[in-house]
Amino acid sequence: MTSAEWQIVGFTVWVAALSTVAILPFGLALAWALARGNWPGKSLVETFVTLPLVMPPVATGLILLTAFGKHGLGGLFDFRIVFTWRAVLLALSVMSLPLLVRSARTAFEEVNPRLEQIARTLGAGGWRVFFTITVPLAARGIVGGMLLAFARALGEFGATIMVAGNIQGKTQTISLAIFEDVQIGDDAHAYHLLGVSVVLAFIAVWSSEFFLRRKKTT
Amino acid sequence: MDTKKFRKYIVLLAVALMTLSLPLRAAEITVSAAASLTDSLKKIAANYEKRSGDKIIFNFGASSTLAQQIEAGAPADIFFSADEAQMNGLAKKSLIDPATRKSILGNSLVVVVPGDSALQIKSASDLTNASVKQIALADPKAVPAGVYAKAWLEKLQLWPAIEPKVVPTENVRAALAAVASGNVDAGVVYKTDAAISKKVKIACEVPRADGPDISYPMALVKGSSQPDAAKKFFDYLSSKEAGQVFTHFGFLLKK
Amino acid sequence: MSLLLKNVSLPLAHFTLEADFAMQRRVTAVFGPSGAGKTSLLDLIAGLRTPRSAFIQLDNDVLTDTAKKFSVATHRRGIGYVPQDLALFPHLSLRQNLLYGRKSGGTNNSQFAFDHVIEVLEIQPLIARGVTELSGGEKQRVALARALLSSPRLLLLDEPLASLDAPLKAKIIPYLALVRDEFQIPMLCVTHDRYVALALADEIVVLMNGKVMQTGPVSEVFARPANAEVAKFVGVETLQPGTVTSVNEGLATVTVGNVTLTALAPPPASRDVFVCIRGEEVTLQRDAVTASSVRNHLSARILSLRPEGALVRVELDAGFPLFALVTRPACAELALREGENITALIKAPAIHLVPR
Repeated sequence: MTSAEWQIVGFTVWVAALSTVAILPFGLALAWALARGNWPGKSLVETFVTLPLVMPPVATGLILLTAFGKHGLGGLFDFRIVFTWRAVLLALSVMSLPLLVRSARTAFEEVNPRLEQIARTLGAGGWRVFFTITVPLAARGIVGGMLLAFARALGEFGATIMVAGNIQGKTQTISLAIFEDVQIGDDAHAYHLLGVSVVLAFIAVWSSEFFLRRKKTT
Repeated sequence: MDTKKFRKYIVLLAVALMTLSLPLRAAEITVSAAASLTDSLKKIAANYEKRSGDKIIFNFGASSTLAQQIEAGAPADIFFSADEAQMNGLAKKSLIDPATRKSILGNSLVVVVPGDSALQIKSASDLTNASVKQIALADPKAVPAGVYAKAWLEKLQLWPAIEPKVVPTENVRAALAAVASGNVDAGVVYKTDAAISKKVKIACEVPRADGPDISYPMALVKGSSQPDAAKKFFDYLSSKEAGQVFTHFGFLLKK
Repeated sequence: MSLLLKNVSLPLAHFTLEADFAMQRRVTAVFGPSGAGKTSLLDLIAGLRTPRSAFIQLDNDVLTDTAKKFSVATHRRGIGYVPQDLALFPHLSLRQNLLYGRKSGGTNNSQFAFDHVIEVLEIQPLIARGVTELSGGEKQRVALARALLSSPRLLLLDEPLASLDAPLKAKIIPYLALVRDEFQIPMLCVTHDRYVALALADEIVVLMNGKVMQTGPVSEVFARPANAEVAKFVGVETLQPGTVTSVNEGLATVTVGNVTLTALAPPPASRDVFVCIRGEEVTLQRDAVTASSVRNHLSARILSLRPEGALVRVELDAGFPLFALVTRPACAELALREGENITALIKAPAIHLVPR
């Protein structure tokens, strides 16, 4: 493994971790809203959140490219989003969000609402109940969901290449690098990165399963 | 029905299916061709199909990718590359018929900018300006259009200044699309590509003296399942009729 | 302390909960069978459910007024709640559970001081244990303490003895009484257990199928149920249809089957009635009765004898089915046997008439 290859690995892990943290506030809020209560438009939101899981990633990437490119939101601000590391962050976030939301939602649904209600009678307002009762009791599911999202972000390809391009040293993740290496015939590098990719994915998914495994019911 | 009769019917059905899957009287020829040839070759094939009854199936892409596919065993009857290097690669591996190899087309490079761009790029050195932040090129590591562009800029000793701004794309049409979408400030593509898109305008042309020698070699791929039909179409590509189409799209005919 | 509920209407699965009453006394029991809407009522008072319509006022504070679209958030109502499943927080220690409702900086009210509450409810020995390791009765006390430590101005209890077995029930009732007396806090207790109502409450609200059937002091409701359903629920052993044939000077003559009884006059304008006789009010006597203040002497045949703890439940045919509860020694002394004839004595004031 050359230092260039390690740079790619480091960049990928760093942006994937950043994306997992970035989706946390919105993802938890969404998961909680979907877990509790019925409100108009709920099934619509549910469907939209699941779309990135089933749509072709390149299609999602195309949507992002159009929305954040020069003629979309990207044109409003002075700094670039597309074809920069910010676009990588965007692609990874959008593609891994559904996994976090699904796991967190299940975790929230398993928290006995009675506990939240009693906490309120004891004088705790909405935020306090959320952070002292709901989240701690849902913690396992949330962490499992975060690890799953992280694993997904590590391996993201289709949306990333569409909206961020395959720019060495700037937006090239492990999957993008493998793609390029194969294209130009550099199989040795490709196999190095492939090995790292498998190891990383294995660790992430294995630890995710550990958290998401149901506790034995007593 | 009893087993014996059932087996007979199955065998008959299988034979019938196999017969049906045999190629019909008309042949199907697969051509792997550089992306920049997309529009011209489609027109040429349409003309040819009318008069011959054969069907031409195209696989357009970066010549480097296409060569890789042929190396990996993809079924192609003809390979039409955008540079000699890719053809050389296949020749070295004895995957093409060297006797049939010839180059009939040339092209020139241009710098394009988005249709609504206000940037003034009169020469290569303008590309080093701070106002030009991102430049789309077909991947200069392997795709001919990008390799040509890099060669041109290296010759002018501007490559080190320009390399950090490069957004590499899959093939030259993808670079064109990136410029057309306005997401990059400029791109280097073939003159023939710039002519296709209404959303880009040519900022400046690479003079033939500065630019590299662009050559489009083509050859018959060994192991074709339709050698006769392939040869017929291959020869048609060198015909006057085909030449007229190429010229119409802006290619240079080599003598 | 006063709690006022007006125009309360909440649609539930099988019926609509409607309530209209005021609670003035210190301990009120909401008494009714399971599924009557009692827990929903508590949820409404605590602000955990939104009614279709309601006006709820605690002392001088309006908590809910649907007409003005006004509702105070649950965490600002200052109402303690001990739910049926106790809802102890499994991820917090016992101490953290107890202190969850504590306002920062302690409380001004010294009666809810931590040490005092712990002492009264005898929680000190438990404090090191995990919340999930506690027994049913221990959890009950901890839930109670937790609610008290939030310095509530009203305490809501949902079926405080529901998950406990008989010996434990007997143990917890004194704790509840202690809470009532030591902390002087108004309590609204929901239960289907008449012993809880009898032991703790000053006032009772009978709730059946979502409607308030009767309110009043406990003894009053038990002695004089307002209608047949309430009577059945509060545990009147004999309940038979009858017809009032005449009313004279405050006394009514009632026919049940082919038997005539003398009872206190029923509410006016009711000819068809249910006759309610508590088992404890029926006296059995062997010898013929000569002069006695008891107005009703019935000749009856013993159909069955069933021991119930210290008592024996005697099923009689007195011309109509009649139940008597006598002590075991009495049963032995009188040598009661199935199939024998006996005289049953019922005082007129013990026969309660309920309109049909």
